[in-house]
Amino acid sequence: MIAGPTLLLSLLLLAAGALYFLRRVEALAALLAAGLTALLALGLWRLPLALPVRLAGRSVWLGQPLTWADLSLQITPAAQALLVFLLGAGAVTFILAWRTYQGRTFYPLGLALLALWATVALLQPLTWAPFAVVLTALLAVFLIQAGQPGDTRGAWRQLLFPTLAVPLFLVAAWYIDQAPLNPDDQTPYRIAGWLLIAGFILLLQPAPLHVAIPAVAGKAPLVVAAFLWIGGQSTVLFLLQRFLVTYPWLASAVDSARWLLWAGIFTASMGGVLAATQERLGRFAGYAALYDYGILMVAMGLRGTAGLPTAIWLLLTRTLALLTLATGAATVRHHMESDRLDEIAGAVSRLPWAVTALIMGGFALAGMPLTAQFASRWALLQLVAENDTRWALLLVLGAAGVLVGTVRAGRACFGKLSGSPVEREPGGLAFLAILLVAASVLLGLFPQLLTGPVAAVILPLSTLGP
Amino acid sequence: MSLVDLIRQVSILIGLPAALVACVAAAVIVIARDWRLVLLAYALLSVMLALLLSQVIPTEWASLQVIVGGLIAVMLFLSARQLRWASRGGSGRGMQLLLRPGHEARWPQVASLSSFRLLAVALTAVAYLALRDDVRLPVVQPLLRDTIFWLGLVGLLGLALHEEPLHAGLALLTFLGGFQLLLFSLTQQRMLVGITGGGQLLLGLAISYLVLSRGLAETQPASGPGVSRWQA
Repeated sequence: MIAGPTLLLSLLLLAAGALYFLRRVEALAALLAAGLTALLALGLWRLPLALPVRLAGRSVWLGQPLTWADLSLQITPAAQALLVFLLGAGAVTFILAWRTYQGRTFYPLGLALLALWATVALLQPLTWAPFAVVLTALLAVFLIQAGQPGDTRGAWRQLLFPTLAVPLFLVAAWYIDQAPLNPDDQTPYRIAGWLLIAGFILLLQPAPLHVAIPAVAGKAPLVVAAFLWIGGQSTVLFLLQRFLVTYPWLASAVDSARWLLWAGIFTASMGGVLAATQERLGRFAGYAALYDYGILMVAMGLRGTAGLPTAIWLLLTRTLALLTLATGAATVRHHMESDRLDEIAGAVSRLPWAVTALIMGGFALAGMPLTAQFASRWALLQLVAENDTRWALLLVLGAAGVLVGTVRAGRACFGKLSGSPVEREPGGLAFLAILLVAASVLLGLFPQLLTGPVAAVILPLSTLGP
Repeated sequence: MSLVDLIRQVSILIGLPAALVACVAAAVIVIARDWRLVLLAYALLSVMLALLLSQVIPTEWASLQVIVGGLIAVMLFLSARQLRWASRGGSGRGMQLLLRPGHEARWPQVASLSSFRLLAVALTAVAYLALRDDVRLPVVQPLLRDTIFWLGLVGLLGLALHEEPLHAGLALLTFLGGFQLLLFSLTQQRMLVGITGGGQLLLGLAISYLVLSRGLAETQPASGPGVSRWQA
């Protein structure tokens, strides 16, 4: 019988190896990568975890653990939800990357990244999972540089903090093992709690440790950067949720909800303010994403009955918003051969749908009406205001910063074309941009479309086991 | 007496000198600008770490640190040599077109003066002497505790002072070396030894790649072939 993790990881890694050799045939590589991830997402969504099923004449049991020495990998209902989300987002990103010139190595390396994120979601014992996070950061180095010499700050910074976090988790694991030897002494739990929280601060990278996000946005192809943020941040937040549920003493040893809330508010405020003042599209996208990431942390910090569903809702809508903004900005950057706001004048005359995607993506990240993020942001602001209206005000100010940044970026695309002739946007790319914008507007008008997926995930996430 | 026993006994006898050499090597990694000196210091640090590790884990496992450290030093050496050959026009693959003469003398470009870094390390040493008695690590021998504390401090200092991948990468590996001493004093698991060793190797690979990327960019024109202006 084939265990679920064996099937999932081997398919992803084998396909990654095969696509590395096929990467020069970019259309084929993109379609194969998108097809495989979509198929895996569909299979994970539809097939039961608890029972073996027959696939292509072989017996497969998705919920069966794969064990090696002290380590094990098992698809739990909560991990299943995350995997469906990651694979679905991967499928969309592979198609977008094909049309937005993100580099050929993205397809094999993207599949390998998905395999590593899946490992983080499935691995036991939990304290070993940060190793897999570091492996994703190592792989991301090659995606961010994309074979080009240049500034290495983004690649280095996104690698540094997870690497520094691993020691904290491993030492915490030792304290957790020691605690049962003397049940009356709570000191090991307290020390382990602080070590784990410090480790998570390094993994989550809230402001002022956010330095990797704008640097990655400035250097990496933008759709790739959005993929890294969507996958990496959701995986780390999922890991945090696993820790909080598996080790209930963690919430009491240190007030994790409160520091997450503060970190989120500070991150969102800083992201919003800095998004308003950027002179480059890439860095604007980075800070707008940082604001949105802060919002997600706030939702996680609220926890309780309403916080978790709002966080899941935000996770889904932010994926659409980030991909829309990244598609628009990546296209403008590629065609105009610059991402400085003073060098992209006239882009709207040659790239109308890319500019529309850029503006709509920015509006969505600001949480404006008629965008996918509006309803989820509104719900979050109400929840935050119930705790403290000043926090809600700070989040609104951050949103205003993202809005100002979006208006500045949009305005820069108008005016007269100057310099060398600019190629018109291809029809396929325009179609994808229209699809993203339409999806965003549709979810803005009918947010209840996401009620089903969010409701399906809440119970497994709030009760997920070790 | 087997060779393994001999190494173990020697490592106990030379524990203090090994710790001192490791601490000096770590300081050299942060202070020196010359890539050859820095790589030599890292190789020396790896050997000393292996000797110190053999006091807490089996010698066969500890020797993995020498192999891993040696391989990382070789990878970084090859990256640096590739930049050097390219600058001399010796690669014969068109690389010389990318690099200007005199590149070797200017690489690696670091953000501070050596004298400033020396002063920073000296101040760190003062902080170390002031705080070392307050540092309490469970189950760890005093000599190893002092080494761990120094490697941790100097590693973090190196990360704060350098953004150039060669120096920053080696500072990170120095920090991780100190952590390995702590981890294997607490727990002795064969799998952990293998995984940390493998992880360091992969980290070394990524650092080597970044060294090349940054090294080429320091001399390559901003709008070179195949490079958009936003990537420069």
